[in-house]
Amino acid sequence: MVRKKKDPGASGPVAATAVVMVLYITDSGPNSVRAVANLEAICKEHLQDNFRLEIIDVLQYPLRALADGIVVTPSLAKLFPLPTATVVGNLSDKSDVLRALGIVE
Amino acid sequence: MDPAVPLMNPAPFGTDVDRGFKKAILRLVKGGPERLAIEAGQIDAIIDPESGKVILLPATQRVLIERKAGFRSLIGLAFDWYWELDDQYRFVSYRGATGDVDDFSEGIIGKALWELSTDNMSEADWRTHRQQLEWRVIFRDFEFRRVDRAGGEQYLSISGEPIFDDRNQFKGYRGITRDITERRQAAAQEPHRFDRAALDALETPIAVLGESGVVLSANKAWNRFAATHSGVGVGVAAGYNYLAVCDEACGTEQVDGRTIAAGIRQVIGGERAIFRYDYACNSLRGRSWFALTVTGIAGNGNACAVVSCEDITERKNGELLLELEFTVARCLADAGTATAALKSVIRVVCETQGWNCGRYFCMDQSAGALRFIESWGVPSAIIEQFLENSRGMAFRPGAGLAGRVYQTGQPLWIVDNARGAGVSLTALAPETGEDGACVFPVTADKVIGVLAFSGSKVREPDHRMLQAVQSIGNQLGRFLQRQQTADVLRRSEMRFRVLTNLTSDWYWEQDRDFRLTQVVGCSAFGTTDILGLTHWDLPHVVLVDAGWAEHKAQLAARWSFCDFEFATAYPDGEHAYYSISGEPVYDEAGTFTGYCGTGVDITKRKRAEIALRESEARMRAAMASGHPVGRGRSRRKTS
Repeated sequence: MVRKKKDPGASGPVAATAVVMVLYITDSGPNSVRAVANLEAICKEHLQDNFRLEIIDVLQYPLRALADGIVVTPSLAKLFPLPTATVVGNLSDKSDVLRALGIVE
Repeated sequence: MDPAVPLMNPAPFGTDVDRGFKKAILRLVKGGPERLAIEAGQIDAIIDPESGKVILLPATQRVLIERKAGFRSLIGLAFDWYWELDDQYRFVSYRGATGDVDDFSEGIIGKALWELSTDNMSEADWRTHRQQLEWRVIFRDFEFRRVDRAGGEQYLSISGEPIFDDRNQFKGYRGITRDITERRQAAAQEPHRFDRAALDALETPIAVLGESGVVLSANKAWNRFAATHSGVGVGVAAGYNYLAVCDEACGTEQVDGRTIAAGIRQVIGGERAIFRYDYACNSLRGRSWFALTVTGIAGNGNACAVVSCEDITERKNGELLLELEFTVARCLADAGTATAALKSVIRVVCETQGWNCGRYFCMDQSAGALRFIESWGVPSAIIEQFLENSRGMAFRPGAGLAGRVYQTGQPLWIVDNARGAGVSLTALAPETGEDGACVFPVTADKVIGVLAFSGSKVREPDHRMLQAVQSIGNQLGRFLQRQQTADVLRRSEMRFRVLTNLTSDWYWEQDRDFRLTQVVGCSAFGTTDILGLTHWDLPHVVLVDAGWAEHKAQLAARWSFCDFEFATAYPDGEHAYYSISGEPVYDEAGTFTGYCGTGVDITKRKRAEIALRESEARMRAAMASGHPVGRGRSRRKTS
């Protein structure tokens, strides 16, 4: 699943280059749902349309997660710009996420 | 949405079992962040690096199970069965939303949809459906009909979507089946409801018959008709056999019943498309007429014929009254005398209306009272006695029913069933015969008489009936007036003819060219010989040009002429003498059409005059010569 968002009304520090992310979730698990909501809010505020997000349900593609080195869900993997980074959990710690995405508040 | 929302499940490992599970999964996770997240309860699942299986944490598992159950419950409301097909389109799964198994789902596993027994699908339909499957398209609401084990029709609607595996390989279809039988039946009933409402809204009684004549359906008007009317088919509501009721009709209704039954059988049998029949029956409100129409129905299940029965009493009475008026006019045209006309008119009115007798009272101006003139009655001792008693009756204007009708010029009627309404018919018995009565005036510019009818079937007249009696009274009055005038004229002609016969020998008529067209009473010329001739062309006329010239000038001037004399010569040399008088005749437009006049044979007088003149001449001659006239000299016979 790939999502690309654009929000002209976004505020706060914005990433200079397009951020490529993969969010690994488990169907509609409570933390997975929460992680999607938290990430959407962060993207709307800080990335505008400057990102590419792929959401992978590990119940459907478990091997894909393993191949990417993911062992728990929800997990967010930032693939670009380098260096890569991974945030584990429901992304409720916003600063942790921004730091992983390379966005300085 | 606030990204810093508190954890939904801060203690995912609350129970002992959960805590044991936690220890187990922590062993699978090597990294610190993952462990911290697990401790914080922010993790839903762990992927076993060795097996690749996803291990749901207990809290996640519970939430997913609850949601799946809720989802199933919701979609269970939207379909009756869930199914899956393999890549050969064979059912590999077929589960009911409620867990019920019906006769359709029994033995369905391993079969394709088109291998099941369906009722309304053709080979072409299945080819189209299979093409959809081959194209891997999502199909929705593919409907078909089948007959269930109980013999009832079942309508099913199937929707499905293709399934692909991770490598995008087609694995089959999955979808849902809904039982739409009730919806289809309701939709099928919808036009019937409209038809039913339309039928019930009609005023005309209508019933639908099956092949055996059973009433399959009837509208409200029919049910009212069956409940309130007498006659053929009375009380035949839905479920009754109309044919049987017609067959069993007896008494006065037997002929109608059998005729109607035969007509219905012909329509049901296809021998005729439509059958129409008018019939009458007696009811409390009098004689009622109905127009029955039977129309065949083809290709509509059990229904074979539609019967409609329209009350045409008003129209029929109008037709009968119109026919009565024509009959009265014909009677008057055929009648030679006033007496014959009165009798025939009274008779046709009685026979048409079912009345017992009728009487005519004429105003005798000299006596100032209505007097009995003529009557007709059905052969009955009571009626004959009643009429006999009427012969001496006289009513002064305003006295009795007849006198009141004469005075007011308006019809009056006494209905027989007024017996129970406090009306003393005994007082009216001399006039009504203790039956109902209808009395109406006979008019010719003014009321000249009264027609009084009696009978048990006299009913209160409607507008059309009043029109009819007014028309009949007017026709009869004018006829009687014409007859009276004709009688006067006839008597006058008779007197004139007698006088003419006394003063002339014959009567003659000429056309505009003065040729004789009619000669009455003349034996001198023989009528067949002289018709078409003018007087101056008559045989053996002795022409005296001057006399004829003067006569012709008179005729050309259209003058009347009197005592124009002319003579004819017999073969023996003797003469006959005639005198004619005439006057011109004009038609109504004032155009001259000829002459008419009389003729007198004046031969005797003329010969006597001639003899007298000859005698005088001889006398003068003798006196002049001195010889007396001899007595014994023979004289010529002149007659």
